[in-house]
Amino acid sequence: MRRNQRQLYRGLLFLLALVLSYFLSHVGPPSTVAQAQGRVFVNQATAQFDGPDGPVEVTSNETRVGETIVPLSIVKTADRAAAEPGDVVVYRLLVTNPSSRVAAPLTITDQLPRGLIYVPNSVQTTPLQPTQQVITDSSLTLTFPSLEPGASVSIAYGVLITPDAVRGDGRNVAQASAPGFTPVSAPFQLTIRPGIVSDCGTILGRVFVDKNFDGQQQPGEPGVPNAVIFMDDGNRILTDPDGLFSLANVLPGYRVGTLDLYSLPGYTLAPNLYRIEDNSASRFVRLSPGGLGRMNFAVTPTFGEEQS
Amino acid sequence: MKQRWWIGYGAVALTVPGLALTVPPVAGQSALGDYSLRVTSPEDGPVQPDEGLTLREAIELANGTLTPEQLSEAEQAFAQPLPTGQGSRIGFDLPTGQTTIALVDLLPEIVAPELVIDGTTQAGYDVSAGLDPKFPPAPVVSLTVAEGSEVARGLTIAADGVTVRGLSLYGFRTSDRATQTTPPADIFISALAPPVDSSPLSPALELFRLEDAEAAPRGVIVEQNWLGLPPNGEFPAVPSAFGVSVFNAVETTIRNNRIQNHDGSAIITGFRADGLQVSENAIIGNGLAGMPDAIRLEGAIASSAITDNLICANDGSGIYFFKTEGAAQISGNAIQYNGRRFERAAVYLMGNDHQLSDNFIGYQPGPGVAVTAYPLSLRNQIRGNRYAGLDGLSIDLNTQGNTGVQDFQKGDGPNPPRNSYHRRRETGNAAINSPEFDAYGFVTGAAEVTLTGTADPGTEVDLYRVAEEGFPYSPLSEPLGTVTASPEGTFSASLALPPGTRVSAIASDPEWGTSEPAPVAAVQAADGSLPELPVTPVELPNCAAPVPPPEPVEPPPPLEPLVLTVPRNIHFALDRSDISPESAEILDQIAEVMLEYPFLTVELHGHTDPRASAAYNLALSERRSLAARNYLVRQGVPPERMRIVPFGETQRRSQGSGRVEYARDRRVEFVFTDLRGLEITFQDQEADLQLE
Repeated sequence: MRRNQRQLYRGLLFLLALVLSYFLSHVGPPSTVAQAQGRVFVNQATAQFDGPDGPVEVTSNETRVGETIVPLSIVKTADRAAAEPGDVVVYRLLVTNPSSRVAAPLTITDQLPRGLIYVPNSVQTTPLQPTQQVITDSSLTLTFPSLEPGASVSIAYGVLITPDAVRGDGRNVAQASAPGFTPVSAPFQLTIRPGIVSDCGTILGRVFVDKNFDGQQQPGEPGVPNAVIFMDDGNRILTDPDGLFSLANVLPGYRVGTLDLYSLPGYTLAPNLYRIEDNSASRFVRLSPGGLGRMNFAVTPTFGEEQS
Repeated sequence: MKQRWWIGYGAVALTVPGLALTVPPVAGQSALGDYSLRVTSPEDGPVQPDEGLTLREAIELANGTLTPEQLSEAEQAFAQPLPTGQGSRIGFDLPTGQTTIALVDLLPEIVAPELVIDGTTQAGYDVSAGLDPKFPPAPVVSLTVAEGSEVARGLTIAADGVTVRGLSLYGFRTSDRATQTTPPADIFISALAPPVDSSPLSPALELFRLEDAEAAPRGVIVEQNWLGLPPNGEFPAVPSAFGVSVFNAVETTIRNNRIQNHDGSAIITGFRADGLQVSENAIIGNGLAGMPDAIRLEGAIASSAITDNLICANDGSGIYFFKTEGAAQISGNAIQYNGRRFERAAVYLMGNDHQLSDNFIGYQPGPGVAVTAYPLSLRNQIRGNRYAGLDGLSIDLNTQGNTGVQDFQKGDGPNPPRNSYHRRRETGNAAINSPEFDAYGFVTGAAEVTLTGTADPGTEVDLYRVAEEGFPYSPLSEPLGTVTASPEGTFSASLALPPGTRVSAIASDPEWGTSEPAPVAAVQAADGSLPELPVTPVELPNCAAPVPPPEPVEPPPPLEPLVLTVPRNIHFALDRSDISPESAEILDQIAEVMLEYPFLTVELHGHTDPRASAAYNLALSERRSLAARNYLVRQGVPPERMRIVPFGETQRRSQGSGRVEYARDRRVEFVFTDLRGLEITFQDQEADLQLE
């Protein structure tokens, strides 16, 4: 009992020590860090040297520490979200100076992803005109003398999508910077579609009740709705009410599809009395790049389902 | 090597002119000598001169591919020439006790016109044993497959006017092989039947000439046969695949046959079956492991008629039209207890201008009649039928172009009223509106009650009594009368109906067809109350043959709770659906109980363990319950008392993941129902547990 009381006292003393130390650390006079807040330190470096014409003084630009500079704002848009090789995309940049200081000089760079190149002489700027314009294949640099507080400059330029772009990521970053301002950037993600250089093919086919066992659909051989075809990559395809199906964007190469007989109870694959190869349970298609493959499944009423 | 391989279709087309010259005219009757033939030997094998005339020899004689001179003197005595022009007749004079003809190979295709194969000529055929035209007397002569042989077709008919009478045919099917086979059947009717498969041993492939309607056999008659079951009526050791396959024939008549126990459909049409007449047959327990519908209609079926049949206890629909051309008339049939394996409509209609009248359609786990929305089906008149015990609407018109899996099996339920003209183009029977009563209750007057409501203007509204409980839809039990809707779209009928009667209605328009039923309204007593009417007793599932007239008076069954020690489950090995010997013993006990108590029905719930995909397990569980069901059918349990419900892996027996738990999961449960509403006690058993 006595021991328990002693432990309780110790605990209380420890709590008291914690509380006291907190108050002592916060009751003292404000520190120097706090005093410096709100003040702006203007720092400018000066260099002097004795030249042939006497002492020369060179002054650097001012740097200001402690000033809350509202950063430049940059917005990047394009006239489309997705493009294919051969398309020209028009990008627009809007750079605004919301601060109270002049941004001078203003430098704007735009870095293009792989496979995108500038259309020559396509840069248009309003209302300011750039003093310097450097264009390489994959980057654009514009320099403006100054951007007044509250003013904006709008830049538009065209970019050509080359077939190389399919291998790139389509992410384009523009950056605006000026002395004394934190550089700001704006990305734009363009979805690159393979378009005319796509190598995906299309597979189409039909599931029908074969009456003459030749594997071809003729009049009087109706299509079977809601039949399921499985592809080698796991795609599951459902036939329409006429028994037709089509599958776009299939990677070229050797493709195999098979009929899920469980999806059409009462039917099984029909024998093909003309072509022994078409008696296979699956269809094998060599799909050339951009090509069209066909998978027809002939079915016939079945029996003996308990055998399998 | 006689085999001719034609590569591709172009080669076939090129061969056509040459082939047309070599094909002899099938219809040339004068080319054939006509005989009266008596089959005296049940043997089968190569044609050779010996003691008795076999069926194979008789058919070849009739076909003209064999002359009597090629046979022995004794055999020639059984072939008497007949005046030409009337066709040959094959009768039977088999020795007593040797009336089973076991085939070892396909019989030759019958190309002799007007040939009659008459099993009723065999001594011992009892014409008077047939009490009901649907159940012909048991045949004496049976045609089946020799043990160890495989024969795809019983009789292959390719000539006009052939009649097959009074035979029992069963056991015709094919087994698994390198390629699939063309559908086997007891009786296959087509001009130039396709070879069984595409193996190099198959005979050279002729052209089917499917397009040429003149080549199709005309006027074939199949009557008084038992198809799919031996003369003793038992389940055959080897079931047939299909019953009658009308593949390419016109004006075929199938009447007074008993067609039972097929893996596939009892009657299936192929490319052309115009003018098919199916009348007064008993079609029971077909579709056991294949095409589940009793009568499956495909292709051209113009001016067909299906009349006065008993279609009972088949695994799918009673009658299923699949993208047919031409109209059929369906009347006077009893279509009941179907859908044992697939929850389909009793009659599924595709196509225009079908007429369904005076049928009884009942006890189906789906709607009574479903009309598809695609291909758009119009002007189907469905009137004067009686319905009972349905799990769906009596008439279900698919709407909104619905073509999902369920829509082609069970339909899509009640339709909303037509809100646009375009509904007509995407709804069965052109979206004719179902009638609606003005109230759910009508207070009766002194003698009569006046029912009022709305319907499409000018339609004929058939009023029905509804006997079963259920709201707002219930099967239409009995037609009460017909009134015509006014040009404003209202109707009114005064009928003498006792209070408590529940009524519904359907509307028919010759331009569009028949509608779905109206929501049920009730006739109230004068004080507004709704008295209870006496309920009709529950009918036992039954598609048995009629018993002889002097029926022994059975004592009423005792109405006391049954205390049965029935095992309620059997188990399976991993990924297997075959019945182990231990499970067979348990199934024998269940079969014994089922046979002892005819009022018991059972649902077979198939289950799997949780491994493998859900879809695979669903299929596996179905195979398991199917295997159990087919075993019980072989033990004599009537198929109309069993239903297959696969559950897959959704309802496990145990929680764990050990070998024992999984073994417990792999099971078929038997859920018995006593139709008299009494309770049964069950017994779980694990005697047949099969560990991995």
